Amino acid sequence: MIDLTIKIGGEAGFGIMTTGLLLGKIATRSGYHAFEYPEYPSLIRGGHNVIEIRISDEKVYSQEKKVDILVCLNKDTYLLHKNEVKEGGIVILDESKVDITKEKISDKNITYINLPLAQIIQEAKLSNVMINNIALGAIVHVAGADFKILEDLITQIFAKKGQEVIDKNVQAAKLGLDHLAQAYAAGYQIKIPRKTEITPRMYVSGNEMIGLAAIAAGCKFYCAYPMTPSSALLHFMAGKAEKHGLVVKHAEDEIAVINMAVGASWAGARSMVGTSGGGFALMVEGVSLAGITETPIVIIMGQRPGPATGMPTWTEQGDLLFIIHAGHGEFPKIVLAPGDAEEAYRLTREAFNFADIYQTPVFIMGDKYIQEGHQSVDEFTITNIQIPGNRGKLLTQDQLISAAGKYQRYALSPDGISPRALPGMKNSLHQSNSYEHREDGHTTEEAGERVDQVNKRNKKLDTFLENHAKLPVIYGSKEAPLTLISWGSMKAPILQAMKDSNYLFNYLHFSYIWPLPKDQLTELLMTFKSTLLVENNSQAQLGQLITMVTGYQIKNKLLKYSGRPIYPEEILEKVKTLQV
Amino acid sequence: MNTTNTTTPTIPTPSFDGYFPTWCPGCGNFGIWAAIKGAFKALNYTPESAAVVFGIGCSGNMNDFLWVDSFHALHGRALPTAIGVKIANHNLPVIAIVGDGDCYGEGGNHFIHACRGNHDITVIVHDNRVYGLTTGQVAPTALKGFKAKSTPAGIIEVPVNPIALALTQGATFIAQGFSGDINHLTDLIVKGVNHKGFSLVNIFQPCVTFNPITSYGWYRERIYKLDQTNHDPKDMTKALTRAMELEEKIPIGIIYDTDRPTYTDSLPQLQNSTLIDTSISTDISGLREEFI
Repeated sequence: MIDLTIKIGGEAGFGIMTTGLLLGKIATRSGYHAFEYPEYPSLIRGGHNVIEIRISDEKVYSQEKKVDILVCLNKDTYLLHKNEVKEGGIVILDESKVDITKEKISDKNITYINLPLAQIIQEAKLSNVMINNIALGAIVHVAGADFKILEDLITQIFAKKGQEVIDKNVQAAKLGLDHLAQAYAAGYQIKIPRKTEITPRMYVSGNEMIGLAAIAAGCKFYCAYPMTPSSALLHFMAGKAEKHGLVVKHAEDEIAVINMAVGASWAGARSMVGTSGGGFALMVEGVSLAGITETPIVIIMGQRPGPATGMPTWTEQGDLLFIIHAGHGEFPKIVLAPGDAEEAYRLTREAFNFADIYQTPVFIMGDKYIQEGHQSVDEFTITNIQIPGNRGKLLTQDQLISAAGKYQRYALSPDGISPRALPGMKNSLHQSNSYEHREDGHTTEEAGERVDQVNKRNKKLDTFLENHAKLPVIYGSKEAPLTLISWGSMKAPILQAMKDSNYLFNYLHFSYIWPLPKDQLTELLMTFKSTLLVENNSQAQLGQLITMVTGYQIKNKLLKYSGRPIYPEEILEKVKTLQV
Repeated sequence: MNTTNTTTPTIPTPSFDGYFPTWCPGCGNFGIWAAIKGAFKALNYTPESAAVVFGIGCSGNMNDFLWVDSFHALHGRALPTAIGVKIANHNLPVIAIVGDGDCYGEGGNHFIHACRGNHDITVIVHDNRVYGLTTGQVAPTALKGFKAKSTPAGIIEVPVNPIALALTQGATFIAQGFSGDINHLTDLIVKGVNHKGFSLVNIFQPCVTFNPITSYGWYRERIYKLDQTNHDPKDMTKALTRAMELEEKIPIGIIYDTDRPTYTDSLPQLQNSTLIDTSISTDISGLREEFI
């Protein structure tokens, strides 16, 4: 079985991320599964960037700690990552930049491959920005991949820039390939040849899957202010806006963002915003506004380590309780957290329906790890997942006309959901009000009317629990002696660890985070023999939430909050200490 | 606001009258209310002809007194909400009714960017230089030295200049009115709503309870009508000169009026349909390609 991790590192600004993306695409097009994990600092030039791609002929769920091929585009990459190279691994580096006799990795039987990047650039009179292409050509040779795929990809990427640019880039890649083909003609043990039978797959990031789902769901207005890790979603949506008939607005700040989206949604357009913790902090009053005015809105909340500016380009699951409690006053909200690219697609599609049906804010909790990393998914995921649009109790013009002027925006109803009219429709006369209001939408401070409206809004949570909430899903054997419990993106390393341990434990995955069905969840938790909570934060926030709802306490915890995701190896180590 | 009035007005009438106002007797808001209703009548509106977004303050309390399709937004945020409404349904006239603290204080940033975008909305600002609903603190337009509950020794800051600000940030229609001259104000609002692009109508309004300085009399001594002068609203430099007339004499009328494509007119995807009129079922199968 092939299970190979390639790590590429270099200075920021030299296309490390593109190199990783192309490598992942080469692997995917060659018929393999791939999973990518990028790391980079919050600056544009000069910092240290690395990207790792794990490639396998079986489903690969996450990155791993150890590396088969380390590709060093600068000296730092070698010095910082040499200890991660596996026994019998390969290091590709420019020996004119690193004195490996002094810095050798001992006792691991490492193969060193000299790729004289500086010399190749100089001799071919190429620009320095071409070194990533040279490295890609070299990797293709070392991994025994198909150069034609790389050539096709370069042609595709630079199609708009013209033949000259394409030729230059292909030439650079060819130089890397040829150089190693001559110097190391014998080849290597590690190989990812193009398979004869290839399952067509897409290689997508979480952000891209969210964006695809939003467009498919009929999102007509996406509003955002750039903030890692959701900026790439803004770029994706902006790039698709004109052709797919939606408007993307980069507003002046996150306060404007959410209020514009609430306005657009009130007028009838399916609307979404995207941000991270700091930006979301500015949106909080707007969430409360959507709550009381009962305006549908989808909020993509890409977590990164806080507090405040925190560690902008790193990952964490530190905002769960913040989101659950966000917004002053009491109102219903629905919180979903995808565990992989496919779930990101499915849940975003659902989110738009839930927002319309329940007329309230719906959150997708992502993080840097799931939103920025790419992974291979079945090519037809986005067309196979069929979730028809459901706009809930949105009235048609005919229905309003037959209401004959008796329409009330906040009419009391058994399920808590009132029929919704849009401004400008005939007979729609209504007000949506940020003040507490009576059924006709006008301001009230009457005790009875207040209680009726609070009850009406709260009722929507019960209706959701009855009609749409889903219990967390169990992966692995129901009988396993140990159950790992986590949410969102940590599904990746947990499933990988579960596979690597040969299904020693099972996994309870929460992707429907709020509201939680108390009785069913309690019953489910009581069936587990032993439990371990795994979270990418320091305060065990899902654990707290579970205890809050069910009283169930999870004693064993694996918490990581260094800004890095949890690795499957760390999970296995922790599981070992539990003696199951 | 406290709706002690419990009789729901029956079928909406073309008068646009909602509940009876809870403003103080003599409040300048009555004049603005009358002018807005008059403007809607002059525009042949029904209560569903336009979307009105209210801010929070005594001005925003008009939400219960004006019978139209409306959204009572957050303090300071009426402009982004109104812009969102306009982007979603650019065929619907959108009017924001806001206060000075609301629009130039809490929402100052939004005001600047709304001007820049030339969003086709009309912003009607109640400028009484004081916070009424929170019982009398300084507004961003308070005259320097004004003593109020939050500035007992007098305000140190100089007042915001809304007209100059709008002018320099790209607003395409800027008018100033006075709540004590309802007919003149009605006409300004009609012109503002008819203007294609961002229109500001800044309205001087006495607060009879919390601002004894800028009273009806104070304004009457100072204001003059631009249409009785040789002012050319197409001339930005002349408009800026008028914008600097702040205390000695104060111009009312159309200060600036120009044409620039609106935000929604600049979006090719909106040229054949509004966002709300396009189907939500969208085929994305063609997007697969770029991820392979």
